[in-house]
Amino acid sequence: MSRSIQYTSSPLLASRTPVWRSKLVVGAIALAFTGLAARAAYIQVVANDFFQRQGEVRFARTLDLPANRGRILDRNGLILASSVPAPSIWAIPEDVDMDKAQLQRLAKLLEMPAEEISKKLADEDKTFVWIKRQVDADIAKQIAALNIKGVYQRKEYKRVYPEGESAVHVVGFTNVEDNGQEGVELTFNKELAGKSGSRRVIKDRMGRVVEDVGDQVPPVEGRDLQLSIDSKVQFFAYQKLRDAVLENKAKAGSVVVLDVQTGEVLALANYPSYSPAKRTNLTGAQLRNRALTDTFEPGSTMKPFVIALALEKGMVKPETVIQTAPGRITIGGSTITDAHPHGPLTVNEVIQKSSNVGTVKLAMQMQPHDMWEMYSQVGFGQKPQVPFPGVVSGKLRAYKTWRPIEQATMSYGYGLSSSLFQLARAYSVFAREGELVPVTLQKSTERAAGVRVMEALHAREVLNMLHMVTGPGGTAPKAQTMGYSVGGKTGTAHKQEGKGYADKKYRGFFVGVAPVDNPRIVVAVMIDEPSAGKYFGGDVAAPVFSETVQQTLRMMGVQPDMAVRPQIVAAVEESF
Amino acid sequence: MIRLNLVLLLAVLASAIYLVGVQYESRSVFTELDKARSEARRLESEYERLQVEKRGQATPARVEKLAREKLQMRQASPAITNYVTYAAPAAVDAAKGATP
Repeated sequence: MSRSIQYTSSPLLASRTPVWRSKLVVGAIALAFTGLAARAAYIQVVANDFFQRQGEVRFARTLDLPANRGRILDRNGLILASSVPAPSIWAIPEDVDMDKAQLQRLAKLLEMPAEEISKKLADEDKTFVWIKRQVDADIAKQIAALNIKGVYQRKEYKRVYPEGESAVHVVGFTNVEDNGQEGVELTFNKELAGKSGSRRVIKDRMGRVVEDVGDQVPPVEGRDLQLSIDSKVQFFAYQKLRDAVLENKAKAGSVVVLDVQTGEVLALANYPSYSPAKRTNLTGAQLRNRALTDTFEPGSTMKPFVIALALEKGMVKPETVIQTAPGRITIGGSTITDAHPHGPLTVNEVIQKSSNVGTVKLAMQMQPHDMWEMYSQVGFGQKPQVPFPGVVSGKLRAYKTWRPIEQATMSYGYGLSSSLFQLARAYSVFAREGELVPVTLQKSTERAAGVRVMEALHAREVLNMLHMVTGPGGTAPKAQTMGYSVGGKTGTAHKQEGKGYADKKYRGFFVGVAPVDNPRIVVAVMIDEPSAGKYFGGDVAAPVFSETVQQTLRMMGVQPDMAVRPQIVAAVEESF
Repeated sequence: MIRLNLVLLLAVLASAIYLVGVQYESRSVFTELDKARSEARRLESEYERLQVEKRGQATPARVEKLAREKLQMRQASPAITNYVTYAAPAAVDAAKGATP
């Protein structure tokens, strides 16, 4: 009997199959199973990580959780800058499929010429084209409703500045990537921006999130920033400044309002300005925050510090008489003159009438070191500690290099430079009875501790002189306000041009304190190159000071300290 | 023995199918939750947008302009302001007692 397997009983079908064939089949099948088992083992055990990862890539996604940029608020919590959703429109040119009517409607919604959109979509090699970035949320909704194939939206945020041009120099602005470019937006960019987080999720084939996997990193929201600026004061200061600059046909102007109790900056405005929403064709003249970044020779506004030093050193009393006739004095070959020659003047009147000769006569009796010390103690030549890009320190040369004529000119504000902000802060000495107040751009409610620079009595005496400046016979009667007593000093400085001084180019200043009896604010005003005839600080800058003080004190709820003839038509009937 | 195994097998099958169902449901519910969350975020930013818009309509510049042009108002000055000083009631009583 051969070793074969009988598959059938029918002799007809009986074939003599060799045994090795069946064995081969069994062997082949066994091999196939072994292969499968080996492959399974490879996938499940050896290369498990790789396949797990590959699988995850296909369904798990990491979603970005963007942090909202913090808002910038004014002292009363009103929004100065905030981020709002503004989707950006983008497209894949190859996929775009729209008819003429759709294109027209899209162009109209985006306020762009249709040709420009067509041009952007012409290059079919590109896989990504921005059509317009950061459009309004309402418009984006309408575009989505058009339902154009190949046109998509990306969620983005846009900064909005409700206060517009009046506060832009303080607040600044961000670029399209939401990074601060100017102002506090730039200085506090890190705090405002926050940190974006992420989460890992599983998405189904429809793109819906079905499960959270792994750890979530919550976003750190940007911190809200509350400034010391009062948007009402800011607006009125800006408005009055703008009107004055336009009326005097001036090149530019700045105004600074400080709260002397807390050291807060209530307003800081410059003109020309710009609207943060429309930032095309900006010039440096518009962008500059002049009050902080421009320095100039402060002119006569320096005189009160020299007088204060003379009082401190016991050289004079406010009633001491100084002979200023004939209105000029020669020092080291140069002659210093008064704009209007005066006769004998008391120290009070030297300030009141802003006599160069009187001031120089006092200054020449002082040690350069003492003068230098007084100037630097009130902050000249030193960078103000405010968090702001481009803050300058101004120039105050070392006293050892002063020549007599330089000492003389420095006493009435030539030969050194300062920013308007420094000047405003320096005047806080007279408002705070001899203490220099530290300034802050962020809200604070406590009374700031000042640094004593001079004795309270002397500061009060100078303040009284400043009050006389605004009175009859002074250089700035236009600084008077209704109801509030004010004190301040005018300044009119020739502008430097190249090596010398420009003949008919001036800057007019006024720096003052109000109310005199219990000072609350310091206001400094600068008008650059007034060219409508008037150029004295008392004529161009003092009116801005007056109106700003009037509005600011009213808004701060300060009761008038001077009697005002009431004009109330219907008196309130009072009964007891 | 076989019967018990059969029952257990059925139980396992039923539980497996139930698990699939529950998983499916949990995912669709999660999707809902996620949608609701993103809607909440959207509404939040919409709220912020409206807040900003409201603020934009109430800037001092606009208020001043409207008050002046539409309502013919003028700025208050101390001359047309009646100032009242607040005195604590106790102080007033004491003052009355002192001057009968």
